This record gives sequence, structure tokens and C-alpha cells, in this order.
Amino acid sequence: MKVLLIEDNKEMILNIIKYLSQEGMICEVAENLFDAQDKILSFEYDCILLDLTLPDGNGLSLLKELKRLESKPDVLIISAKNSLEDKLLGLDLGADDYLPKPFHLAELLARIKAIYRRTKLGGTEVLVFEEIQVQYQNLLASVHGKQLDLTKKEFDLLVFLITNKNRVLGKSAIAQHLWGDYTDNLSNFDFVYQHIKNLRKKIAEAGGRDYLSTVYGIGYKFGANQS
Amino acid sequence: MRLLNILTTVYLLITLTAVITGGYFIYRKLVSEIDFELGMELERQIEAYAQRISNGLSPSALENDRLQITELPYDLEEEALVLSDTIAYHDPMNREEKQLKASKSYKIGDKHYRISYYNLVVEAEDITETVVYTMVLVFLIQIIFVVFFFRSISNRVLRPFQNTLKKIKQFDFGANEPLVFEETKISEFDQLNGFLEKMTQKLLIDYRQIKEFSENISHEIQTPTAVVGGKLENLLNSEITEDQAVLIYAAYQNNEKIHRIVKSLGLLAKLQNAEFDTSSKIDLSEILEKSIELISELVILSELKFNADIRPEVFVNMHPSVAEIMFSNLLSNAVKHNFKGGWIKVSLSPHQLLVSNSGKSLTKKTDELKGRFKKESSNSDSVGLGLAIVNQICKTYHFQFDYSVSKDDIHTITIDF
Repeated sequence: MKVLLIEDNKEMILNIIKYLSQEGMICEVAENLFDAQDKILSFEYDCILLDLTLPDGNGLSLLKELKRLESKPDVLIISAKNSLEDKLLGLDLGADDYLPKPFHLAELLARIKAIYRRTKLGGTEVLVFEEIQVQYQNLLASVHGKQLDLTKKEFDLLVFLITNKNRVLGKSAIAQHLWGDYTDNLSNFDFVYQHIKNLRKKIAEAGGRDYLSTVYGIGYKFGANQS
Repeated sequence: MRLLNILTTVYLLITLTAVITGGYFIYRKLVSEIDFELGMELERQIEAYAQRISNGLSPSALENDRLQITELPYDLEEEALVLSDTIAYHDPMNREEKQLKASKSYKIGDKHYRISYYNLVVEAEDITETVVYTMVLVFLIQIIFVVFFFRSISNRVLRPFQNTLKKIKQFDFGANEPLVFEETKISEFDQLNGFLEKMTQKLLIDYRQIKEFSENISHEIQTPTAVVGGKLENLLNSEITEDQAVLIYAAYQNNEKIHRIVKSLGLLAKLQNAEFDTSSKIDLSEILEKSIELISELVILSELKFNADIRPEVFVNMHPSVAEIMFSNLLSNAVKHNFKGGWIKVSLSPHQLLVSNSGKSLTKKTDELKGRFKKESSNSDSVGLGLAIVNQICKTYHFQFDYSVSKDDIHTITIDF
């Protein structure tokens, strides 16, 4: 998967590239609109991560140009300007999603994958992790072919965990993913624990291995090399 | 009361006072003038009679019902003219009438006569009637003039003022245009307008600065916190010991807290600047139902009993996102400051929202908790801006916000629209 990151903050670029490249994604960077236009016309990308406030203009102007391309890449706006108008305008101009800064890198990865599934694969992709199978289209998950009875949140959690497999996921990142802005007002993340507990239980009941491990009490990790 | 009406009323009251005082003096003057003229007339008459007596006519032959001639001892001094009111028989009217009597004595030859002559005076009632009639007429004419001319002229004079008022009413920070007035030729109004022009220019500059600040602060602080967050997230995924992990995570969480504070302060600033459009009516019931749906899972996970009584189609002038924020803050507070097996009750009627829940007893006053960064527990993850935001929302929309805790630790929040 080839990603173009249009962003002017060098540290931000390093963070994102480090996280995404561990996932096997190829990341290219444009630090301003001019470079971005150049790259878009010269190469093909699966996904564009677009910051709006760039040194030589507003990232929104790029959306109009992207529309004219034959194979339009996915566009995920990453902006520090968390304004509703920008969001609506961006989505209206053809962006696929809007992620306000600051975000969890795990969330960024999850969003990129989700857009990719939706636009390029038509949502038919089946995510497989060892004996666990996840069908996005009908929100079904199964272990050894045996269907799991998951709630919507548990399903989202499972997808989020598999997408960010072998990563340490902070409780707050998980909470943010599941409840969005509501977590701003929730001081403790017991709710995350509840969902993790239920998901674990359901996978175990279906005969699946426990891939979830607690990391020093600060978060969770989902991976095959766990106990 | 309109300025013009006040001016008219005051003007009419002053006129009325002037007319009454004027009337009184006119009355006084009339009476004295009439008396004076009458006295002169009587004196001339007396003098004529005295002349006739000196011409040889016998006084008794002259006497009639208006004339009285008495003979006085000769050694008395001649009396000067004396005017006095008296009641005397008036023949033509055949009754006693108030008359004016003038008397003067003359020494004619060797005789000394006092000649008194009577005449009817104009009656006080008649004068009063005339004066009142005239004054009422004057006053009526005044009223007509005031209504037709004074008011229309005043209206024209006050028009620049009315225009100024209209412009102030239409002034909108969002439009970003300072007030501009035309010259009025009335120096006070020009001063007022000039002052308003300068003031709005200053206000708009300040407003723009605050707005830019609240916009910039999100960008300027969010970007570094995003960078820090990303670094820490990457760090968490590297080879680390447990000690390091705990340190990193603590930094990570506090970084998130900075983000939440900045976000909340930005929202507060936006609310204070009234940057949310409030022109449209929204269905609060619908938004509340949605908010409850979002929180319902947390309610179940927290093992709370939830009871909602929502009247459908409660319409209020509000920005939908603001309503969402208000509900989300209130509901998550009710979940957060509750205990296992507790309860939450929400009711919405056309004029009131009520959220009550079981909870812990407070050590702080409820009014204090409405302030910024005031929180009951020293729970480090809580920012302490939730109620401040609700409070500011209520202020912005002129809602009545009340928070009370009963003796049995039932927390109740009411918002009257």
C-alpha cells in the first residue's frame, strides 16, 4: 500500500512514517502543496494523508485537483483545525474521512485501512488473523469457522486490535476509537476493560487462543507471539 | 416609552402648567383692569354730577338708584376718591347685586357733599369663564400643533438617532463590518455616531484577535501535542522495561489531558464569542435521544439504572453541536460521578431539562463546581471543565442553569429554557 503524506511538521512526519512503515506501508512525503501536486501527477498512490494548513496554501485546494485524476486515491484529512465547517467542506470536496489532530497513530492506521477496504475492496475483504476471520461486509467474525456473537462495539474492537496487531494499544486509544469524543468526559477506562474481557471470553468460548495480553497495566497488545 | 412620547408628554405638561399660571395672572390682571377702568368711569360720572350740582342743580333732583348724595358737615376735609365693593339693590335686575361703589366728597359753594355712585361690576365667574374658555382653547390648539407639527419635526430631528439605533441593532460580529454613519448636522448625534464608529472598529479588531487566538491555539498547541503523542506511541512499541512503560504512559496520558484542556478552552472561547449560529430552532428531544443512545452502553457497563422521560418535539433556538456537547457533558458527568447500582433520571419538557443521579456527597459548593478547573475529586484524568462548559452554554443562550445536591446525595441539574 502506497501512501502520500502531505504534512509540513517534520516530527509529525517521522511519527507517522515510523508507525505506518512497520505495517509494511510505503510512505512518501510532500511538505508543501507544490511538492504534493508534483507527486500526485507523477505517481499513483492508494491513500493520501492531507494536512490542511500548509506553508503555501490550504490543503483543501488539492482536493479539486485530485478529483480530475483517473484513479482517485483515498484522501484522509488530518488537521489540527477541528472545525465542523472544514470537515464538511473537506468531505464535500471528495475527502473520504477527517481525523482531527492530535490523533493516536493506531487510530490513523485503522482509518486508513477502513477507507481502503471501503473504496478499493468494496468492503468484501476478509480479515484473517490465525484462526480468526472477520468479514466487514456483514459484520461477522468467526473462530475456526464458528461464528462469534459480538456486539457492534466488540466487533469494532476486534477489527481495531487485528489492524494494530503486535502493537501496544493504550487504553485511551482504544476508548477514543470506540467512543470518539465521548471519552473526553470519561475519566476512567474501565469500559475498555469490560469490552476486552467480553471479547476475550467470547473468543475463548469459540475455541480460539487468547492473543490479548495486558502490557504493564497501561494497555493491551494483540499478537500471535503472546502467551 | 418612546422618546418622542416622553418629549410630547413633558411638553404638554409644561404647556398645561404655563397655561394655568398664565390663566391665573390674566384673570388677576383682567379683574384689576376692569376695576380700574370702572373706577375711572365712576369718577368721571361723580365729577359730572358735582359739576351739575355746582351749576345749580339740586342734589335731591339728581338722585337715582345709582347715585347717592349725602351732605357732610362743612368742616370735614374733602374726601379723596374711595372705591369699594358693596352689595346694593339693582333695579333693572330687581335684586341685590355686587356693585362697585365710588365715592368722593366735594365742597360746592358752602355745602359739602359726598357723592357716591354705583355700578355693576363684571362678575368674577364671568371673568373666570372667559379666561378658562380662552386657555382651554389655547391648550387645545397647542395639542393640535404638538401632535401635528412638533411630533413630525421632532421625528425628523430624531431620525438620525433612530437610524443609529437600527444600525446598532443590526451590528453583527460575524459580518466583520464596523458601523458607518452618515453626517447628521446635529453635533451630539455626530459625536455619538463617531464614538460608535470608533468603538465598533475597536471591538471588531479585538474580536478578530480573540477569534484568531482561539483558532490559532488549537493549531499551535494541537500540533506539538500530536507530535508528542506520536513519539510516545512509537516509544511504547519499542523495547522497553516496565518502569519505562509506566513513565511513558503517564506522559502520554497527561499529553492527552493537555489536548482535552485546549479543546475545551477553545470551545469555551467560541461560546463566549457567540460564534455558534443560533438562528434556527432545533429539536432537542431528537438530539437528547441520540445522546442517550450513545451513552447507554456506558450506562449498562457501569451497572446503572436509567430512566428517561422525554417529551417529543421540544424546540429550542440553539446550535445542534452545542446541544450535543451540553447533553454529552451532563450525561457523562451523571455516569462518571455515580456508583455501581446507582441510577440516572433524565426528563425533558418544553421548558426544562432535568438530569438527576445518585452520587457521592460533595465537599465543595455546587456553585463552585460550575467554575473553570473546579472539580470535586482530585481525579487526575478529569479536566474540570465539563460543568463550566454547560454553564457557559446556558449563559450564551440565556438558559437558567441550576445544580443542587440533596441531603441523600441526589445530584440534580435543571436547565430552564
